Amino acid sequence: MVDLALKTLLHDKWRFAITLSGVAFAVTLVFVQLGLFMGLLGNASVTIRHLDADLWVIPKNTANVDFANTFPEAYLQRVRSIPGVARADNLIVYFMFMTLPSGARETVEVYAMEDFTRWNLPWHVEEGKLEDLRRGPYIFMDGSAEKRFGPFAVSDYREVQDRRLKIIGRTRDALSFTTTPLVFMDYRLAQSMNSQMLNGRTSYIVLKLAPGADLERVRSEIRRLLPYNDVRTRQEWAQRSENYWVESTGLGLNMYLTVFLGVLVGVVVVTQTLYTSTMEHIREYGTVKAIGGGNADIYRIIGKQALIAAVLGFAAGALQAYGVGMLVEKLGLRLTVPPIAIAATFAGAIVLCLAAAAISFYKVARIDPAIVFRS
Amino acid sequence: MNNVLEARDIVKSYQEGTVATPVLKGVSLILKRGEIVSLEGRSGSGKTTFLSIVGCILTPGGGRLAIDGQEIDMKRPRQLTATRKKSIGFVFQQFNLFPALSALENVEYALNIKGVKGREARRKAQEVLETVGLGERRNALPRDLSGGQKQRVAIARALAGNPSLLLADEPTANLDSQVGEQVLGMFRDLAKRDNRALLIVTHDPKVRSIADRVAKIEDGLLVGEG
Repeated sequence: MVDLALKTLLHDKWRFAITLSGVAFAVTLVFVQLGLFMGLLGNASVTIRHLDADLWVIPKNTANVDFANTFPEAYLQRVRSIPGVARADNLIVYFMFMTLPSGARETVEVYAMEDFTRWNLPWHVEEGKLEDLRRGPYIFMDGSAEKRFGPFAVSDYREVQDRRLKIIGRTRDALSFTTTPLVFMDYRLAQSMNSQMLNGRTSYIVLKLAPGADLERVRSEIRRLLPYNDVRTRQEWAQRSENYWVESTGLGLNMYLTVFLGVLVGVVVVTQTLYTSTMEHIREYGTVKAIGGGNADIYRIIGKQALIAAVLGFAAGALQAYGVGMLVEKLGLRLTVPPIAIAATFAGAIVLCLAAAAISFYKVARIDPAIVFRS
Repeated sequence: MNNVLEARDIVKSYQEGTVATPVLKGVSLILKRGEIVSLEGRSGSGKTTFLSIVGCILTPGGGRLAIDGQEIDMKRPRQLTATRKKSIGFVFQQFNLFPALSALENVEYALNIKGVKGREARRKAQEVLETVGLGERRNALPRDLSGGQKQRVAIARALAGNPSLLLADEPTANLDSQVGEQVLGMFRDLAKRDNRALLIVTHDPKVRSIADRVAKIEDGLLVGEG
């Protein structure tokens, strides 16, 4: 079977390249925008998603994990007393000042617990032992801090809230939406760093259910015992933290607008090149009809060309986005594109190209077959 | 059934705004198997319109058309397509070859459209191309062929699928005199050999040398046959 669609497409390589670039541009833009968006949103909830808790007890109406009020730490005992709770601990999340060797003061976001090892927090430890945090004025600092604070090494000292603390470990991928570097320290140490605000108080209680325990029953019991707190599952809390940034920063709107513009540009380029190509080959399509072909044969040719452009354009766009991803990683950003978004973008590229071909279909259906006789 | 083409009282007008301009005013023509007819007339006389109608490309305003004994209902596009596919082969003044396809693929594609696929299509295309003397140039693209060679590929394509009726529109118009004569000779041989009817619309008086009959259209009417 002679593949007229493919041969015609490859016969005019420049036009084909322009069509491909249109699709690739749209796909790249979608991936990069979506990837950055998801990557940033991921930062907004990355600690929630990794911390091995089924429920979070949260100060009432707290909007996201970074900006928590405090409540009495003694509430922990009430939570631990509820049947179905396997274990529960206090967690402090609090912004503090760090003085750098240069003399500059920067903000760090402190996560403090009595025993991090039981909660999978932090989840990537590159150097140091988490158990050692309880032994003195020590901290773990995330490697991402180097971008703002400059290089640091385990056994270096830094001043936090004007107290000299030794860095005894380095973590990876522990990020915050605010881009403030994360520091991990012992719970009591954190309280002593800002005793006025934190003495006897905590930001959260995290808890793990016993096997077979009824989550909703435990939750309603916590609500009964702590009426001035919220209780959220890990998924609910992560979602709420992400939504806060989407709604308060216009990030979502920006992402949707850029994706829309990218798709629009892609549609325009593909429509234009396919349509021009159809018009230039209109006599050939007339010939297809003259030798016994019908509109369906011509639709197949144009449709196939659109599909080839979609598949190859998607591949080129994905490759470009991968390259951009490598580039932005060096800038401390991350492109996160979940498989479902890849599949949706692929399907979108196909729909986009077929939609672009629709105008050509319309034109072909109205070819005057006598065009084949014109000189 | 000896008649390949029976066109009776074919009428056609073109609408320009509110004015209808009659082009064909009742043209009748019959072609038998193996018969070659040269259809002549001045530019604008309606000969190409007539060719388009008997080629099931254009719908007439009135009249009757039968091809291979089958009455054609011009209001049924599917029947028109099926008739073009099965019974008609076209040769155009501008050759109308697919520029992205080689000589062989041009012929093979026509066979594909007519329902012959795969190796059989390739074998038959090769055969027809050899019949027109272009077996050696089968892989050449149209841009690499001379005018005469292009017209021979176009003839091979028209012959693909073994149609009973060949319709040619000014087949020698873009060829020099010597090549035109060669092409006409080939036309005659191929039509006679396989007993096909051949209708050639032309200005070229040389076509008369291969025609069994000459018909002339003037002001939308068939004014003379000889």
